[in-house]
Amino acid sequence: MKVLTARAAALRLALLGALLLASLALGLAAGPSALAPGNALRELFTRGDSGVAADIALRVRLPRVVLAAAVGAALAVAGALFQALLRNPLADPYVLGVSGGAAVGGIVALSLGSALGWGAAAVTPAAFAGALATTAALYAVAAVRGRVSATHLLLTGVVFNAFASAGIVFVASLAGLTEGTSLFLWLIGSLSAVRADAAPIVGAFLALGLGCALPLLRDLDLLSLGEESAAQLGVDVARVQRVLLLSTSLMVGAAVSVAGLIGFVGLIVPHLLRLRLGPDHRLLVPASALAGAAFLVLCDTAARTVLGGRELPVGAITALAGGPLFLYLLRRQQLHSGAP
Amino acid sequence: MPARRSAVCLLLALALAARAAADLPRVVALSPSITAILLALDAQASLVGVDEVSARVEPRVRALPRVGGLFNPSLEAIVALQPSLVALVPSAQQRDLRERLESLGIGVLALPNISYEDVLNSIAMLGERVGRSAAARARVSAIRAAFREASAQAQGRARVRAVLVLQREPLYVVGRGSFLDAMLDAAGAENLARGFADPYPRASLEWLIAAAPDVILDAADPAAGASAHWGHWPSLPAVAAGRVEALDRAITIPGPYLDRSLAELARRVRGSGSPQ
Repeated sequence: MKVLTARAAALRLALLGALLLASLALGLAAGPSALAPGNALRELFTRGDSGVAADIALRVRLPRVVLAAAVGAALAVAGALFQALLRNPLADPYVLGVSGGAAVGGIVALSLGSALGWGAAAVTPAAFAGALATTAALYAVAAVRGRVSATHLLLTGVVFNAFASAGIVFVASLAGLTEGTSLFLWLIGSLSAVRADAAPIVGAFLALGLGCALPLLRDLDLLSLGEESAAQLGVDVARVQRVLLLSTSLMVGAAVSVAGLIGFVGLIVPHLLRLRLGPDHRLLVPASALAGAAFLVLCDTAARTVLGGRELPVGAITALAGGPLFLYLLRRQQLHSGAP
Repeated sequence: MPARRSAVCLLLALALAARAAADLPRVVALSPSITAILLALDAQASLVGVDEVSARVEPRVRALPRVGGLFNPSLEAIVALQPSLVALVPSAQQRDLRERLESLGIGVLALPNISYEDVLNSIAMLGERVGRSAAARARVSAIRAAFREASAQAQGRARVRAVLVLQREPLYVVGRGSFLDAMLDAAGAENLARGFADPYPRASLEWLIAAAPDVILDAADPAAGASAHWGHWPSLPAVAAGRVEALDRAITIPGPYLDRSLAELARRVRGSGSPQ
């Protein structure tokens, strides 16, 4: 198993930071309009200019690129933390049904919105409320005397997800032709035309989640040995689980309520990094934040540019780009390690 | 001297034309029905961009810049066209598009198009915003007159029990409150799906069979498949009587020519159209 020195770890984080900066620059430079890449980047340094170039560079692309970075980081960090908490490599940010709860909240707001006179603005708060309610219910069901077993939590999450899926199907089946299309499209993740203040909101929850998680990463390494072993080594298992579950769910809830369900980021980014960097969460979690941000910025840049003015769902790009890369690295790892 | 005067007049006319063109609103239309209304009002010169569907179905706007699909317009592509107005049908799938456009100083005209009055209001509002109010008023008057005339003709006749199908699988029909429901009423039909509160509800096949319509008005794609599809249910009175009417999908567009659509629908309801 790979163990990096502090200097090697710092170098890799610096490289990932450089990758993120490059992807942000590319995201700002590229777009469906005829604005020259150099002009778009120049707008960053000549702030105060008005006109269409400034509007496109600073008020259309910049908030979207920053939002993509925040959502990508939140999903990748959440994936890394859930994989460790649940000791399951298949865990992703959506495995515990938090996203399903957000989706139910969102589509209930969408389907009742027209009847009750709510605007589209009600959808995001409703989705976030759904995510919080699911987290609370999940913890209430899965925790015994403040502790949760990974298996119990995972099974509860699977049932919550199935329940949420049934709720979504139920609401969608009651919807008419136009609302049905709206619901379906809302469920497909997108960063298009999201409110300009969405990035700071997701960023705040990301900072909160990271702020809670970073001091506990050594405990998380020990938790990978199992709850009993970690407890014997002095880890306050119940507290670590509670704090990480809540902070991770807040990050996922914020990301899903703003951008819908964007798949693959939270599954493959931590996996790829674990293959390349090893299992130390003190490196893996910040690296996931940087790489997840860069990955989603690049995928979203592709989603809004490859078909000109027509946008692709960014979730389709994350799966198309990430899936084959992940399989390739997994296969290479198997061949190198000689594992069957 | 007369030649010089003519040249001055020509220059003046050109300058006035250029001034008029500069004064025109720059409109991006994000729905085929909105595009159709603007074209019907002879406001093509104001259009600077359209959605993909409009460009596909309307040859007159095919050369205009496209700003994305109905449900996934590109904010950047719209902003790049520097429009003064974006006309759209409000829908949640556009997420916060409207708010983003307004924050960029771009006017947004959101035009619901569910009910009959919604559609007429869309025509009037668009006419007002592109300086074609008189043409809009004329169009609205023509539609209202056609509805009054059709309703008068239907008065006293037995209502034809009908269902208007928008999609066969899964089955979506025209329910209560939509402009198509109003058209069915004016055309002398009894819309059997009025029991559904939704304007375009999803219905079960069992409901339709039990409703036993005397005519099935099928506007689903492909039109050629209507008879074969409903032919599997010979117990339906509409099928037994050969009253499955495949409609042109254009009838279902909440556009500027509801009067023509109504005339066609009334013909089909009465059974004087070409049976499929």
